[in-house]
Amino acid sequence: MLLDIGTLLMSNGASTGRVRTTVNRIAEALGYEVELLITSRSLMLTVTEENGSDYTSSVRRTPPHGVNFKLVSGISRLSWRVIEENLTVEQINEDIIRLTSLPHYPRLVVLLLVALAGASFCRLFGGDAIEMIIAFIATFSGLFIRQEAIKMRFNPYLAIVFASFTATLLSGLPFKLGLSGTSEHALATSVLFLIPGVPLINALTDLIDGNTLNGIVRGVNGLIISFAIALGLMVAMKICGI
Amino acid sequence: MSLEILLLLEKGIWFGFAALGFAVLFNVPQRALIIIWLMGATGGLTKLLLMHMNTDIVLATFAGATLVGILSVSAAHNKHAPPLVFSIPAVIPMIPGAFAYRMMLGLIKLSGTATTSETYSQTLGETASNGLKTLFILMALAVGVAIPMLISRKETIKKIRHKSDADGG
Repeated sequence: MLLDIGTLLMSNGASTGRVRTTVNRIAEALGYEVELLITSRSLMLTVTEENGSDYTSSVRRTPPHGVNFKLVSGISRLSWRVIEENLTVEQINEDIIRLTSLPHYPRLVVLLLVALAGASFCRLFGGDAIEMIIAFIATFSGLFIRQEAIKMRFNPYLAIVFASFTATLLSGLPFKLGLSGTSEHALATSVLFLIPGVPLINALTDLIDGNTLNGIVRGVNGLIISFAIALGLMVAMKICGI
Repeated sequence: MSLEILLLLEKGIWFGFAALGFAVLFNVPQRALIIIWLMGATGGLTKLLLMHMNTDIVLATFAGATLVGILSVSAAHNKHAPPLVFSIPAVIPMIPGAFAYRMMLGLIKLSGTATTSETYSQTLGETASNGLKTLFILMALAVGVAIPMLISRKETIKKIRHKSDADGG
């Protein structure tokens, strides 16, 4: 059960320190002592009963990382409830199943709002109305392609290359065809929805926290994502001849 | 002057929307969405205002990110969610996309089309400048957000100890 919580947190965008605190909090409330070994792809823990009479160890693989803050905040609330309401193990298990089955936002809402974010970026960098529309369309299609690629179980980095390629191509073409005077703003902003913000910020949090190894792993992950974006961008730009 | 303020406020609205888009992408709980919109707008406006007063862009971004980080701690207490749920979507609109893009463009030029030594050194200079700006702004963002989060977590841990001590006693 504790392994479930730890791996869920780790794979959905919580920092190493947060995983440790939350698992410790729940274990303490249930009357156990727990020692953790946290790496980015697996989680190992030893649970000891408080009087030291019995202990058990276990290892679990962490699923591939994604971001789902609803789950992170849900488990954080759950851990407080464990302390305050003295939940039993069964109740906690039920709650975790409920949390993992919570729905994401509807796909169309996600696509539209992220596309709106892309258009907002374009405005912030000084683009005009036409460029904003271009950025909106490019972001929308780019995210759509990424979701489809992930559904087809492509390598996640490859999915990002596809997405950045599509977005750049769509924002570069109007310029190529002479529909829009400048392309710079739309081009620069149409791939921004792919930036690895969570891995990079978590990497720094881990590094400051003393979890150096996990911080480096996350940082390298963010770096590879950036290179994937750049690769898609470059190929599409060569095609558009910019 | 009033026109400038209006223009700033308009940008604030866009900052908010950019933050909102990322919040939805990261599947943030619904009750946090409005707060994130406000925090994105506040952080962005802080940065723009400081830049308006001739502050360096790196320092202005750092101030904006720190403000978001501090706000996220109180938001976390009110809405019962970890601070990073609020702070990460709210600082993402401040990411230096334009600089990063120009750096990429420069790198591509350097590897291919810049032939004469004069254009080469000019492109090299521009690329290095844009790249360094990108790097430092990113670091300012991450550190600005992370510092208040680290402080707040210490407070939370203290609270737990307090509680278990009280239970034991």
